[in-house]
Amino acid sequence: MAQSLTTQATDLAAAKMAAVNRFIMEHVANSGVWMPLPGVHIHLPPWFSVHGLMLTIAATILVLLFGLCYRHKDPVPSGITSILELFVLMVRDQIAMPFLGAKDGRRLAPLFCSFFFFILCLNLMSLTPLFPAATANINVTLALALVTMGFMVIGGMVKNGVVGFFKAFLPHGVPWPLLILLGPLEFIGMFIKVGALAIRLFANLLAGHIVIFSLLSLLLMFGLLALPVVALVVLVFFLELLVAFLQAFIFTLLSAIFIGQLYHPEH
Amino acid sequence: MIGSIAAVGAGLAAIGAGIGIGLIGYSMLQGMARQPEMAPKLMVNMLIAAALVEGVALFALVICFMGVK
Repeated sequence: MAQSLTTQATDLAAAKMAAVNRFIMEHVANSGVWMPLPGVHIHLPPWFSVHGLMLTIAATILVLLFGLCYRHKDPVPSGITSILELFVLMVRDQIAMPFLGAKDGRRLAPLFCSFFFFILCLNLMSLTPLFPAATANINVTLALALVTMGFMVIGGMVKNGVVGFFKAFLPHGVPWPLLILLGPLEFIGMFIKVGALAIRLFANLLAGHIVIFSLLSLLLMFGLLALPVVALVVLVFFLELLVAFLQAFIFTLLSAIFIGQLYHPEH
Repeated sequence: MIGSIAAVGAGLAAIGAGIGIGLIGYSMLQGMARQPEMAPKLMVNMLIAAALVEGVALFALVICFMGVK
């Protein structure tokens, strides 16, 4: 009797655990079904996925936001444009110009503004219950990092010439036998930097969302007994809000540093 | 217990990153206390260093995630 009760309890816990896992995976994993509200299933066409939809929505939001706010060419920012210009100025003056120089910084500032606002928009969207987390998908972040790599490689080659681009990987002031070892290492380092850029954003977002959902699923597992965990979830949520801004900033900052390293190699 | 060794690995990665980020924050606070006018510059550089340390920890975490399967 006791034996069967224990197995029943274990089976129940296992079933709940499986439900929780599915619940978490539906939020962070890519699929063909979008569930904006509980019980509402929107099936997408087979050539489209829910994360692709999120990217499209984020891009639409940004185009509409900037397009509508700057329809009148008002020189004095007011309301929402003053917030937007705060971020644009921060990206240009604290990220682009110190690491790329005044001229290149001004020229590449639109790229970094796009990175910053796009990642920020996706991160903030994924914190609302309506949208799944697109930046918690490695394919999205790797694609963004590959844009950075394109600017590193093609931009560096256009700016310094093909020979100058490869010379950037040879550190100065070391004896030449060491260069045979260090040159390829620095070259591989470029790919590792780009991969780390992608994995940092992906893992931060994925871990944050899994933490929020795991804590919330304690309610599913233990019922009302676990109600105080909601306070903890609110705390973690505000931490995630900070992480959303911080990761957008860090991604943009590191992109600027990596591009700057190949645009202006040290001599 | 499936994946318990992977969980131990995630914990070990957190120890290393915790020590690293703690040292970075310690020196940043010290530098800020000695020269408050340098604080904005120190903040950006601290974030860069913290992001690099965190990157290693997250690499380990991702590998632990992969080990769970």
